[in-house]
Amino acid sequence: MIELLRVENLTKKFGELTAVDACSFTVKEGSITALIGPNGSGKTTVFNLITGYLPSDSGKVEFAGSSIRKQSPGSLYRKGLTRTFQQARVFADLTVQENLVVAGGGKWTNLFGRRITAEDQSRAAELLDEFKLSHVADLYASELSWGQRKLLEFASVLMSKPRLVLLDEPTAGVNPILIETMATHIRSYNAAGVTFLIVEHDMSFVMRVCDPVIVLDRGKTIAVGDPETVQSDPRVLDAYLGD
Amino acid sequence: MHTLIQGIILGVLTGGVYALMASGQTLIFGVMKVVNLAQGAFVIASAYLAFSLFTQFGIDPLVAVLITTPLMFGIGVVGHWLFLRPLRSEDANQLSLLITFALAMLVEGILSMTYRTTYRSINTSYANKAFDIGGFSVSAVRLYGFIVSCVLLIVLYIVLQKTRFGRAIRATVQNPQSATLLGVDSVRVKAYGFGLGISTAAASGSIYGLLFPFNSGSHYDLISRLLSVVVLGGLGSIGGAVLAGVIIGVVSSVAAVTWSPTWSEMTFFVVLILVLLVRPQGMFGRVERGAL
Amino acid sequence: MKLSKKGASPFFTRSGLMRGGVLIAVLIVMPQLFPQHWIWNMMFFTVLYAAMSVAWNLIGGFAGYPSLGHAAFFGIGAYATASIFKSSEILTNGWQPFFMLPLVGLGCAILALPIGYIAMRVRANIFAIVTITLLFVAQTLGYNLKSITGGAQGAGLSVAPFHLDIFEQPFYFAAATLLLFAMGIAYFITKTKLGMALTSIRADEDKARGVGVRTTGIKVITFAVSVGITGMAGGIWAYYLGFIYPQFAFDPLITIAIVLMTFLGGRATVWGPVLGAAILMPAQQLLAYYVGGSQIYLIAYAAIFLLIMLLLPRGILPTFLNKRRMDSMATKGDLSGTSTTPVTTGGSKS
Repeated sequence: MIELLRVENLTKKFGELTAVDACSFTVKEGSITALIGPNGSGKTTVFNLITGYLPSDSGKVEFAGSSIRKQSPGSLYRKGLTRTFQQARVFADLTVQENLVVAGGGKWTNLFGRRITAEDQSRAAELLDEFKLSHVADLYASELSWGQRKLLEFASVLMSKPRLVLLDEPTAGVNPILIETMATHIRSYNAAGVTFLIVEHDMSFVMRVCDPVIVLDRGKTIAVGDPETVQSDPRVLDAYLGD
Repeated sequence: MHTLIQGIILGVLTGGVYALMASGQTLIFGVMKVVNLAQGAFVIASAYLAFSLFTQFGIDPLVAVLITTPLMFGIGVVGHWLFLRPLRSEDANQLSLLITFALAMLVEGILSMTYRTTYRSINTSYANKAFDIGGFSVSAVRLYGFIVSCVLLIVLYIVLQKTRFGRAIRATVQNPQSATLLGVDSVRVKAYGFGLGISTAAASGSIYGLLFPFNSGSHYDLISRLLSVVVLGGLGSIGGAVLAGVIIGVVSSVAAVTWSPTWSEMTFFVVLILVLLVRPQGMFGRVERGAL
Repeated sequence: MKLSKKGASPFFTRSGLMRGGVLIAVLIVMPQLFPQHWIWNMMFFTVLYAAMSVAWNLIGGFAGYPSLGHAAFFGIGAYATASIFKSSEILTNGWQPFFMLPLVGLGCAILALPIGYIAMRVRANIFAIVTITLLFVAQTLGYNLKSITGGAQGAGLSVAPFHLDIFEQPFYFAAATLLLFAMGIAYFITKTKLGMALTSIRADEDKARGVGVRTTGIKVITFAVSVGITGMAGGIWAYYLGFIYPQFAFDPLITIAIVLMTFLGGRATVWGPVLGAAILMPAQQLLAYYVGGSQIYLIAYAAIFLLIMLLLPRGILPTFLNKRRMDSMATKGDLSGTSTTPVTTGGSKS
């Protein structure tokens, strides 16, 4: 398996605080990699740095072999790297279907085409069906429940057929049945060739779904390996239980 | 050379007043994340109040500060309670910006009804006095105005650093969510923070009225300058606003003596555009952590 | 409510075409019914402000970037027209200034590109700051660039050679054409992906960037189109009055009027701003007729504005449409399985 994402010595400071401290890791193509760590260990900041939402101070980020450190979220999206947010972010004033279509990308000139073309509709219908959102397709996103929003956000980042998806806590605040649904979707898209990097607090989810697991503590990578190895690593236990 | 130094002195003195006005403006942004477009209108309203107190009762504008400051604080708190607090919808941010714009218009309208639109100036006994310091002439009003501004900035600093209320405000500026978790009553902090911000307009108004002729429409000029100062300093940074006030004061005053008084009015706009091109977050502003 | 039909969303709907037809008919017939000069005058201003409100709505409503500097471009358009038609030599049949308008609008739009780019790099607050400052700068230039604007003494255009009986009519029809043009653009936006992109920018710009919406280009061009129309309105206005002064050409009252009209009728809708203008402009004209004095409308505008923001922040049309939508959903029981209270998302546009 080749490396799809390589992060090397990535560093970000907020004033005095070093949120990400010379962090390095790689994500292999076709894997479901987890990024875990205690609260405040810099997981979300790493996501923000990789996806271009925050400028990093120093270090390297490579995606599919080319440097992407200074690129905007939009151009990364077009290259096939995309993400979700911890607090599911959907466009409240657009319908569920439109949320998907607007994330569908495409050329400049498409902007002047119809709001929803037949092609958009069939592509969206597929995802809506898969994520069991068809019955709410014409509701505004603001009218959805929390769990439905999580699903919608997940579905919408898949519209552009990405290579790497970064999921920020896909199960946070979601009921147990929906957690299983999430796991199923992640596995089935992974089988179809999408690589995942997942920040997650729910350890049982991580153990069931992800391999390998990367552990961050205070902005540094402290352990990498399969779930069992990482779980028994004394440094990891220290990071979670220490202080 | 002489005129240049003269210009710099003048600029620092005027800049002190901008610093005071802008610190209130930026404080409001820090607490509420709202650009208060009515700050200039409240400064002009205070200038009119000082004018009336002086012409009707003979109260010196710099003494009138003691009356107008609590009044402006009250107006700020009430204004917040009436117009800003009730906003609940998802775009409260955009709405509150426009509400402050409407408030500015309302104040301007009331002022032009009460005082007409002719230019006024406050002519105190020391209006034309000037000191000679090392061969440079320094007008008394500018010097007094500068001193009063500095004193009030120090008072503001003490309020923010040493009092419980000040700590609540600073916590809210840094992180509204954790401030609420720590037991800070966010609605009250916002209301008082808004009041405190507006109250800096009172003294600024008195000094502004002493320095320049003004009418009800002067607040556009003023708000444009203030906003440039605040952007240069970094939105939400009081230290930045003070420094930026002095910088813009000096730049425009030097432009006035070396180039043309008319066009020096435009310097702040040039500064604004340059800041936005080079360093959009200003000198001390934090980069917005949009994704978080 | 209806389920998504198979196939593409239609570009022209029958109801859309019908409403457009009715508007055109009203614009043509209305003034014929009341041929007094003051009615023509009132209709002219109503239609002119409606056009400007529709234009403001493109950037302020659809994209959620509240511009406070549209009056600057109104004034620039006015002075551009005034300086082209200072002398009567090129004004043969009187229609030339109208034909010149697209060029004036294009000029304003081009001028807006760098300004928009700088102002919209960092979110709505800075945008408001730059635009309100721009208005003041434009006003200062209006007073000081005496060779172009004549300063405080004002600038005159050559008088339009229309017969006095029908003097207002060419201006009215020019403004009505501009209104239809602006509404056409607004309609186009609601029917294309551009509209969805603008809505996504308004709802959550960071997220929009993250799903590949070309936010910068879209914002800047929308701003340019919006002020281009506003500049053209300024041109018509200048030619109508024949003599313009900086304090009226660059009047913040223009900004607050069009913002108020848009908010009253309903942001981000095609018809909201038109409705707002149709309510407010005649009211203002009547107020001016009976009371007089512009300080009054400053206070009245500000007060109405504050009231609308507090009581009807979404405006008349969206409130009405939303109620109708809720009613129809309630009758069909379509809300089952979804939360009934719309919760807001964490869009951070500060």
